[in-house]
Amino acid sequence: MLRSKFFQAIFIFVAAFAFFRYGIRPPAPWSVVYLYMGIVLVALLVYVSSDSESWQAFLRPIRVVLVDEEKGLIRLLLMIVLPLLLGYYAYSQAAAKVEAPPELRAIHPAPPSSISFRGKTISIEGLENPLRKDGANFRKYVSEGGEIYIKNCMFCHGDNLNGDGMFAHAFNPAPANFTDPGTIAMLQESYLFWRIAKGGPGLPKESKPWNSVMPSWEDRLTEEGIWKVIMYLYDATGFQPRRWDKQAAISPSLSPGRGPREGVRQRWGPAPAEAQQSGDAKVGKLVYEKKCELCHGVKGDGDGPGAANLNPKPRDFTQGKYKVITTTPGQPPSDQDLFKIITDGMPGSAMPSWKELSEKDRWDLMAYLKSFAPDTFQQAPKALQLPKEVPSSKESLSRGKEMFEAIECNKCHGRAGRADGPSAPELKDDWDHPIRPADLTKPWNFRGGKTKRDIAVRLATGLAGTPMPSFLDSVEKPEDLWHLANYVKSLAPDKPNYATLLRVKRVEGEIPEDPNAPFWARQTPANFPLAGQVIVDPRDFNPSIDMITVRAVYTSREIAFHLTWDDPTASRPEPAAKVFADQVAIQLPVKLSESDERPYILMGDGSNPAYLLRWSSDGGAEEAGATGINALTPQTAQAVEAKGTGVFADGQYRLVIKRPLQTADSDDFQFPVGKFFPVSFMAWDGGAGETASDMSFSEWYYALLEEPSSKRPYVIPPVVVLVSVAAEILIVRRAQRKARKRVN
Amino acid sequence: MRGVGRCFFIGGVMALSLVFLAGISPQVNAQSGGSILGEVKYNGTPPAPKVIKVNKDNKVCGNEKTSEDLVVGSNKGIKWAVVSVVGVKGSVPKPAQKPAVDQKGCHFQPHVLLTPVGAEIDIMNSDGVLHNIHSTSKLNPSFNKAQPGFKKVISAKFEKPEFIKIRCDAHSWMSGWIVVQDSPYYAVTDANGSFKLENVPPGKHKIEVWHETLGKIEKEVDVKAGATTKVSFEMTKK
Repeated sequence: MLRSKFFQAIFIFVAAFAFFRYGIRPPAPWSVVYLYMGIVLVALLVYVSSDSESWQAFLRPIRVVLVDEEKGLIRLLLMIVLPLLLGYYAYSQAAAKVEAPPELRAIHPAPPSSISFRGKTISIEGLENPLRKDGANFRKYVSEGGEIYIKNCMFCHGDNLNGDGMFAHAFNPAPANFTDPGTIAMLQESYLFWRIAKGGPGLPKESKPWNSVMPSWEDRLTEEGIWKVIMYLYDATGFQPRRWDKQAAISPSLSPGRGPREGVRQRWGPAPAEAQQSGDAKVGKLVYEKKCELCHGVKGDGDGPGAANLNPKPRDFTQGKYKVITTTPGQPPSDQDLFKIITDGMPGSAMPSWKELSEKDRWDLMAYLKSFAPDTFQQAPKALQLPKEVPSSKESLSRGKEMFEAIECNKCHGRAGRADGPSAPELKDDWDHPIRPADLTKPWNFRGGKTKRDIAVRLATGLAGTPMPSFLDSVEKPEDLWHLANYVKSLAPDKPNYATLLRVKRVEGEIPEDPNAPFWARQTPANFPLAGQVIVDPRDFNPSIDMITVRAVYTSREIAFHLTWDDPTASRPEPAAKVFADQVAIQLPVKLSESDERPYILMGDGSNPAYLLRWSSDGGAEEAGATGINALTPQTAQAVEAKGTGVFADGQYRLVIKRPLQTADSDDFQFPVGKFFPVSFMAWDGGAGETASDMSFSEWYYALLEEPSSKRPYVIPPVVVLVSVAAEILIVRRAQRKARKRVN
Repeated sequence: MRGVGRCFFIGGVMALSLVFLAGISPQVNAQSGGSILGEVKYNGTPPAPKVIKVNKDNKVCGNEKTSEDLVVGSNKGIKWAVVSVVGVKGSVPKPAQKPAVDQKGCHFQPHVLLTPVGAEIDIMNSDGVLHNIHSTSKLNPSFNKAQPGFKKVISAKFEKPEFIKIRCDAHSWMSGWIVVQDSPYYAVTDANGSFKLENVPPGKHKIEVWHETLGKIEKEVDVKAGATTKVSFEMTKK
């Protein structure tokens, strides 16, 4: 069989495919694989048809299958399978998924030769950091830059400067990763000055449509402040800025400066073995000073300059109380516990994962942390003993629910687990800072991890220093801890599954106004992450609402959005007590721009205004125009055509807001069918004092009113199958006729 | 210089032995000790007691709670102040009843509990709703234990003398104190602000009054064997 040209060709073809698909690292894109396979196919055809004998040899097996009486069964099988495969391919093409249009942009657009900074003209070309001349004060500038960074930049760019701060997941493009050799290492300091001073709004035309939420920091920082931050960025990453000298200017991509400091980045190194080590506190102190001090403070009391804007506050290490432990309650954490928290970070808070530090650095750091509370760590802690794990089952879940009610988890976490219990608003930690209970329906934010074991261990140990108590001896039977963990895990999916596109389906008939109507549960939800607004004063570093779930449909006349978001209280406005109405807004452009240019994300600006479909708990549905976050003009009652119905239950709002697709008002957005348009979301928890610019918001997403579902995916494939069957019959008949002629 | 140093040394030894003697004297002179009878009064017009609206578990907690962080009687006597003799140590006789703090009607009863070092105490839940007993102790290990309705008793032990604040996070108004005493000479004032310390070794002593919101004051008292010494204290908001 191997001598047959046909099978040789098949073998080479399959081997080539396997190589291109699986043999190349990183994997080659499909387009490249297709291209290579095309070349292989042509080469194979040339090879088998090099002379007529070889060609005949190649064709022989095919001919045999087509005519040979004995191969009737194979022939029949092929004649059935091939049309079906083609039909499936046709179906998958006809029912192709809708995807948001790609956003192409220049990574490092060319800077202007000069900018105006608070009315003063600053020439960017040839500009050097003036503070570098003052070498004597270098450390002072760097440390002041660090303070500015931790109070302003950290929320998006991350405390470890890797572009993965606590709000980063809500933005696209992702915040710049300064530890990547492709960012600040290949740029001049003047370039950074321009980007920081002017931010997203200052990006040049050619890099639009930009979507960057980077603010113009000239509104908040002084010229000197920006230079200090820049010095901090280079010092903390260990990179050197490019200089304006000729040599460097020639090859922009080839001068990444000095590499990052040793021991600071090991991201591509082998996975940590996590063997228990003792660590060297003296070395740990050096790491601490570089990486931890800005939040946790020089004395380890959690009062570094970054603490002011953080909630939850950075931990005070001097009391030796740690939230996430695997030791008996009342005992200090184990070394492994501390190492694990440094390594994994605390999801949902500003504490990042420090995996980029070498394993040794992390062990040394652990040893140094212990030295802040020497008395606590005098004796070796006892490991927590849990009963045997109970697998999840119907019985376990029902027992878990029963226990959830018996031990009154609802008191803080709420009946549905949405952190809306009656005791929630009054909670304080051991340092008297207000603290929120965990939202059990968002396990991706669980500080100590979301696995079943993590949950059972947290229940057993409590979270030291917080109101969460230990339940180790306070359940009816020890294994109830596992039933509870199973139940908590059953409350929500593991991941938020954020959407990138809002698909709006066409429906017929009246759209239900009741947010609880079963109609809405049948619509596909799209989750969008929200981040705190940390650009305009007053800023919101600790937003109450971090996600909004959107369902949307339209008819020939109107469009309806169904929004769901968690809010611990339905607030009754009382401005004197800093309680405001709960609000939500859908942001749209006033006009759809041909060049995909969108209004500035925070309610537009003078040149490109925004249109808002709003709803508030005290005013109902509204429409408004805006040319900035503090320049909002609600439409008059007569002009408002939007209608909304909101309901609140168990720490969650559900809202239906409707509007005619087309209106006569030129200040309204007109919803197009079959065309992508930008949309974004904003939310205010008035009970948490959020109002005006104190809010959370999403970036721009695309929405699409899908054209009435076409019948194509159901018509084309049968046609393809029929045509290919007919073609097969023709080919087989011809081949058999030929064969018969040859025999005769 | 040398002479002066020696003087200090001798003085130090004498002082130390005095402390030592004082430490063991109670057992020896228990019968020949004196009593201190006193009262703690509020100087000035006391602030109106804080009233907290209850928004949960109203069936057991009621609709309103009056804070006990400063309770002043009609005669201006301060309740829940702790009076102790400073620096006189001694083993505490075993209490007739096991010390206990009960969470009843969503408050700690008693508001201030005296308990000897090393004694086991009962923390009870008579309410049948979730409480959590959360200590913010520093010398003794701090703890935070859940006590759901079905968990009637939790026991605890404290090995070091300390004024320990306890609270319940589920009911933010609930707070109380566990005072771990290292001598028998502790007393809590009653509703009239009165207290009595008995069998105090004779001699001059510093008497300390502690109150959770008013702080600490001290007074020197001369205790005579077999006699009752009267003393009164005045405290006010700082």
